[in-house]
Amino acid sequence: MTRAPQEPRSSSAPLGPRKVVGAPVRRPERTAAVQSYVPTILEGLGLTMKHFFVNTKELALGQRNDPVLEAIDDGINTLSYPEQKRPYPERYRGVHRLTHRVDGSPRCVACLCCSTACPAQCIHIEPAEYPEGDARRGYERFPARFVIDEIRCVFCGFCVEACPCDAIRMDTGMHPAPYDSREQFIYEKDLLMSIPGRDGSFESDNPRHEPGDPTHPGVTRLKHH
Amino acid sequence: MGTLILLALLKAFTVVVMLGLNIAGLLTWADRRQRAVIQDSIGPNRAVAFLPAHVVKALVGAPAVLVAGAVIALQLVAPPDAGGRTARAVVLSQLFILVGWLTLLGIGGAVRTRGVRSSFDAWVASAGDPRKFVYLGFAAHGVTALLGLSLRGTEIGRTLRDFGYGAGAFLLAGAVLGGAVYTIVHLRGDTVGLRVAGLLHPAADGLKSVFKEDFVPPNADKFLHGLAPMISLFPALVVMAVVPFGDTLCFGVGANDTLDLGRLAAYVPRDGVCSEGAVKLQALDLNVGILYFFALAGTGIVGAALAGWASNNKFSLLGGLRAASQMVSYEVTLGLTIVGCIMIYGTVRLDEMVRWQVEHGWGIFVQPFAFVLFLTAAIAESKRIPFDMPEGESEIVAGYYTEYSGMKFAMFFFAEYVAIVTASALVVVLFLGGWHVPFLDRAGLHVAVGGSVLFSQPLPHAVVILLGFLGFVLKVVGMCWVQLTIRWTLPRFRYDQLMQLGWRKLLPASLLNILVTALVVLALQQASGTVQSALRTLGDATHALVAALGLVGAIAFFRLLLSPARKRRFLETSAARYAASRGGTRSATMQA
Repeated sequence: MTRAPQEPRSSSAPLGPRKVVGAPVRRPERTAAVQSYVPTILEGLGLTMKHFFVNTKELALGQRNDPVLEAIDDGINTLSYPEQKRPYPERYRGVHRLTHRVDGSPRCVACLCCSTACPAQCIHIEPAEYPEGDARRGYERFPARFVIDEIRCVFCGFCVEACPCDAIRMDTGMHPAPYDSREQFIYEKDLLMSIPGRDGSFESDNPRHEPGDPTHPGVTRLKHH
Repeated sequence: MGTLILLALLKAFTVVVMLGLNIAGLLTWADRRQRAVIQDSIGPNRAVAFLPAHVVKALVGAPAVLVAGAVIALQLVAPPDAGGRTARAVVLSQLFILVGWLTLLGIGGAVRTRGVRSSFDAWVASAGDPRKFVYLGFAAHGVTALLGLSLRGTEIGRTLRDFGYGAGAFLLAGAVLGGAVYTIVHLRGDTVGLRVAGLLHPAADGLKSVFKEDFVPPNADKFLHGLAPMISLFPALVVMAVVPFGDTLCFGVGANDTLDLGRLAAYVPRDGVCSEGAVKLQALDLNVGILYFFALAGTGIVGAALAGWASNNKFSLLGGLRAASQMVSYEVTLGLTIVGCIMIYGTVRLDEMVRWQVEHGWGIFVQPFAFVLFLTAAIAESKRIPFDMPEGESEIVAGYYTEYSGMKFAMFFFAEYVAIVTASALVVVLFLGGWHVPFLDRAGLHVAVGGSVLFSQPLPHAVVILLGFLGFVLKVVGMCWVQLTIRWTLPRFRYDQLMQLGWRKLLPASLLNILVTALVVLALQQASGTVQSALRTLGDATHALVAALGLVGAIAFFRLLLSPARKRRFLETSAARYAASRGGTRSATMQA
């Protein structure tokens, strides 16, 4: 079937809205059944009862939806927090953690990149030198204090982006706990290092070559200088 | 004399506290909980009492030991005589099968959610779907019953019967104890959170409202402000007193014409209204019957109007005015719809109304139009959705109880729910046959349509009365549920629509109903004998219809219970993948 092309509006056509072509949409009839309101009431009651029976049965027999895995199905999708928790998505930026080296010390080299990048200025780092004789002395420093004010943090993730050593991460999958005083939101280095990542490990996947290792590029560079 | 006072107190306690208050208390919770369930959420179920594990073990173990001990003691102390052997064998074997499959079903469900923990669990899990236990159980019930019927009188049948009443008690006791021991052994943790499906929530709410501040507005009338909630709650409660909740009990008569409560009649003839020692199951046997209800329901208006006036608040006053005019308007319809029933039943006494329905067919079949009108007016009378203009929180804050808090508010709130229960009880008595269960008369089960008797089985008097009482409670709960369903479904009317519906639709309709009923009653009085007997058969047919509908409903209910829940998994998000890797969130502690 081909449709007749619409005629372009000629200059001689009268102004105003075009004539509507086609059958008009019928208005709903106001029959006695509609006006008496009774069939609609019964229909509504039927729908209510259906939901009542099915949902109550699923609740009583433990068949209700898994609120996360089967969330697109009809039925009760309520999570009973805090007994049940919705896991956060993979790239959720939660509470910070400081990753460990193999020997358990922080990976952080106190370069201050994160505290510089932080728009909320909530990171405070006091760098310190390694003692005399340590292989790392002269090559890198370590944080004597590493403090994050979690109540001030805006969870933008810039610190993680800025870190050249993969030392600070927000992959804990935790939101900050609701404390009752401001002091409790000040996370010190020990606390930050005691929080594992979501996979349970304290380290990161990226390999690290310690000064003194044969694979460490920086040490050879130092020797040649 | 003493026994009579005791009986009167007992009846008042049963009907007002056990029926009125308890069902209303459950309704306050069921209303919010089930409304939430309909809207696909859980609703209030957070109240929890943590019980130490050993207390829970005692709570599970002690009743099981008591039941098992009682069954065995009954068997040893009072072995059945030759006549009672068959009955006891049947009861014991059927109970054993019932307890058995229910226990296995429970264990099967538990194993499914928490995993296999023992070799017995593994055996239960190897059966697969726990529904198999239900099917097997029903099959076992049927096979046992058929075997008993077909082998009746034969030698094998006698051996089986002897085995049934001899070993049945021990099997039953073993099944009960086994289930209890399994539960106790598999209890984990130091405490067990007791939620009773969320039923502790209304108790917690009630307790909370007792301790809340009782606020009285500065310029309010303090005395009337405190009096109003009591005036609201009181009539709603005492209306239950005239409601008959069971058939007349027949006791023996001792010396000096006193009742002998120890001698309940064993069997009562079918048409027997007992000549002596009759105890009506009705707290207040008034000859004005239904009129008492109207008198007291009218008093309830005073409470709402008084609350509106005494609060010294414009919104309260508006709410009080609305309540007063609405209740007065619908009181008229309520009264006039009953006239048709009174004409047909020929009495205003509620227990005699039920007797008429037992004999001729339920009121809903003789006065279907009046049923709808009465239900509508009764819902409007209790000031509830879709007729909750007096409350109207979108227009006048909270209406007549805007200025109420704490327990006074709770009393208003509770009065509404008590009114639901009393309205349901009245609808049941007037239109749904009261305590009558189809084909259950005073002698026992008697299935007869017209002149032909299809099945007849005499039952003990106590069992008949108990079944009637249970039937009455079931009907009242069902009617409450219907009222709540209406509440969950319909939106609120506008105030002028409400008045129009009351005065210009329901009132003429009820007048018309009276006219038509009067004409039909007159015509039937003049009718010939064949028409009368045909009507009798029709009345029996309505009983059959109710029984058939009940049966269909029960089958549909079991089908719904056994139907599997079909769910689709959706693993497209990383959050869902995390949840799936941990076995889903459903396996975490979750309370129904």
